[in-house]
Amino acid sequence: MKMVQPLSGQAIYVVLLRELKRYWRAKARVISSVAQSIFFLAIFGLGLGGFVGRFGGVTYLSYMAPGVIGMGLLFGSVASGVSVIFDRQFGFMKEMLVAPVSRTSITMGKILGGATTATIQGIILMTVAGFMGAFTPSLTFLVGAFAAIGAMLLITAGFVGLGVAIGSTLNDFHAFQLLSTFVMWPIFMLSGVFLPIDVSPLPLQVAMLCDPMFYGVELMRWCLLGAGADLLGSLGWLISLSVVAIFDILMVGLGTYLFSRSQI
Amino acid sequence: MSKINTIEVKALTKIFDKDVKAVDGISFNVKEGEILGFLGPNGAGKTTTLNILSTLLRPTSGTATVNGHDILTEPDAVRRSIGYVFQDTTLDIELTGRENLDFHGRLYGLDRDARQQRIKELLELVQLTDRADDLVKTYSGGMKRRLEIARGLLHHPTVLFLDEPTLGLDPQTRRSIWEHIQRLNQEKNVTIILTTHYTEEADFLSTRILIIDLGKIVALDTPDNLKARLKGDVVTLTFKNPAEIETFRPLLENINWVHQINVVTSGNNYAAMSRMMQTTTMSSSMNIGGTMPDMNSRTIGEHKKIPKQSQQKTEKPAADKSLQFGGETCPKCLNLLVDNGGHRIPEIVKLADEAGVVLESVELHKPALDDVFLSVTGRNIRDEKGSFMDMVRHRRIIRQARGQRVRG
Repeated sequence: MKMVQPLSGQAIYVVLLRELKRYWRAKARVISSVAQSIFFLAIFGLGLGGFVGRFGGVTYLSYMAPGVIGMGLLFGSVASGVSVIFDRQFGFMKEMLVAPVSRTSITMGKILGGATTATIQGIILMTVAGFMGAFTPSLTFLVGAFAAIGAMLLITAGFVGLGVAIGSTLNDFHAFQLLSTFVMWPIFMLSGVFLPIDVSPLPLQVAMLCDPMFYGVELMRWCLLGAGADLLGSLGWLISLSVVAIFDILMVGLGTYLFSRSQI
Repeated sequence: MSKINTIEVKALTKIFDKDVKAVDGISFNVKEGEILGFLGPNGAGKTTTLNILSTLLRPTSGTATVNGHDILTEPDAVRRSIGYVFQDTTLDIELTGRENLDFHGRLYGLDRDARQQRIKELLELVQLTDRADDLVKTYSGGMKRRLEIARGLLHHPTVLFLDEPTLGLDPQTRRSIWEHIQRLNQEKNVTIILTTHYTEEADFLSTRILIIDLGKIVALDTPDNLKARLKGDVVTLTFKNPAEIETFRPLLENINWVHQINVVTSGNNYAAMSRMMQTTTMSSSMNIGGTMPDMNSRTIGEHKKIPKQSQQKTEKPAADKSLQFGGETCPKCLNLLVDNGGHRIPEIVKLADEAGVVLESVELHKPALDDVFLSVTGRNIRDEKGSFMDMVRHRRIIRQARGQRVRG
């Protein structure tokens, strides 16, 4: 197997297009994901928020919102990467593999497609959170929102890569449940959605610092709440952005590698 | 032959893991415009061969060219030259028929105009124009199959691989798929390799038939020539009392127009079976070829015709050691290959009378491909049981084939 494979723009595009079409048609998935996030924002953000009060200079709802958007990004992107299992299960994988295009092109299409759909999901959530009063409407916020869209693409690309890597390794889609419990939920819970890192006990802090999504959530907060907000435990955008970028490179590489040697 | 070889295969071997030879040094050529039927039981190496020829699998040794391109050094050119319709459906059922075709066209680098033109043309060919914009998950099995065949042709391949194209389809749909395959072969001059374990399918469609068993080619010829190998007719005797088979058999052995006497055993005892084959050199099986259109079969007596569907379902536990009968257990049957069968039946009946043996029925038919298959492999093609070792071997191959890394 040649590790350096030629990329075909049209092949990448067509795989991406398929992801978009499938996303557009799976309305139930979109609705349930949006609803789930609304529950989080309403129950924790508004409910618990009244008890917690202001938090690092912003309301608790505002503090949580970037993290809840991050949750949507995380679950959406990992799921779309892992869907290579279903492609294999239902045979469509063979159609792609027997075509005169490299596997790298297919993986790239898959990752770009997954990142795009998860980001669309993120934009919907961002809008919903905005209407719930999580963000202060201003020109600064508008600029930050566009920055956040860029950040979403970056964050999701790495997690789609992780999903593709997992999907290429697991042959059984019953393992999906295990994946959800032991991979996705810990990543989400440790990403600092609900609590700032410096009020957590030390072992938890270490675990949080090992969670790539923690940096993703930090980045989202920086974009959406502004650098001016006095955020507890903020690492600063540069560190977060760097970690996310390194994670992207590693995961896209790993996903591409494992997919190229996966079995049908 | 003036026609060029579209496919040339030389000493192709595929060994999975250690010593399991799924394909064992096969060589053959396929001429332009030909339909080559790959006939063999499950696990014979048919799909493995197609996967190698389509560059999905790398051969352990040997090589092949497809449309003049080497499968080892020019995989992309080979992939452009072929359309592959896989055994299991590989459509995206969440997309419409047209979108599936469009996806394929883009994947093979067709521009928009070429795609639209070609999709329209192929939808008409497989008569799916009015369902093109429905989601594939609403299609019937036959429609999915037709769509896949259309998709396989979209990029103007010179060769089409059809892996068990009618597996699991009902007889009418099967017939219509056959007609589609024949039509596109004739109208588009597409060279086709088709794998099947239905003898009547291979007979109906193939220009030549390649019989493959345990990874080796055991016969390669036109259907007519293959059937002509078994000279004479097959007469099947059904005894009222199975014990009388052994009484009657020695009487038949001395008659010069009886070329062969054969009990179609189940595949349980494959070694014994091959020994028997070696001594008799040829054999024939009882076959009633339920769906064979040109069977030329006459039934005397009250032998039940078994519909194809039920034949396949009559898989009994492997411990069953009784004789096989076209996939069904027939402990009371004896097959004879005789000259001029129609005239010999009265003599056989007379002989039985004289010996005091009671015959329940006597059936005559021309040798069909099933008989040829049995004669060259020593097994009944519908007998999916096989010996225990065969089964173990087969399972291993399938498992390993699934675990085999596929070339990207």
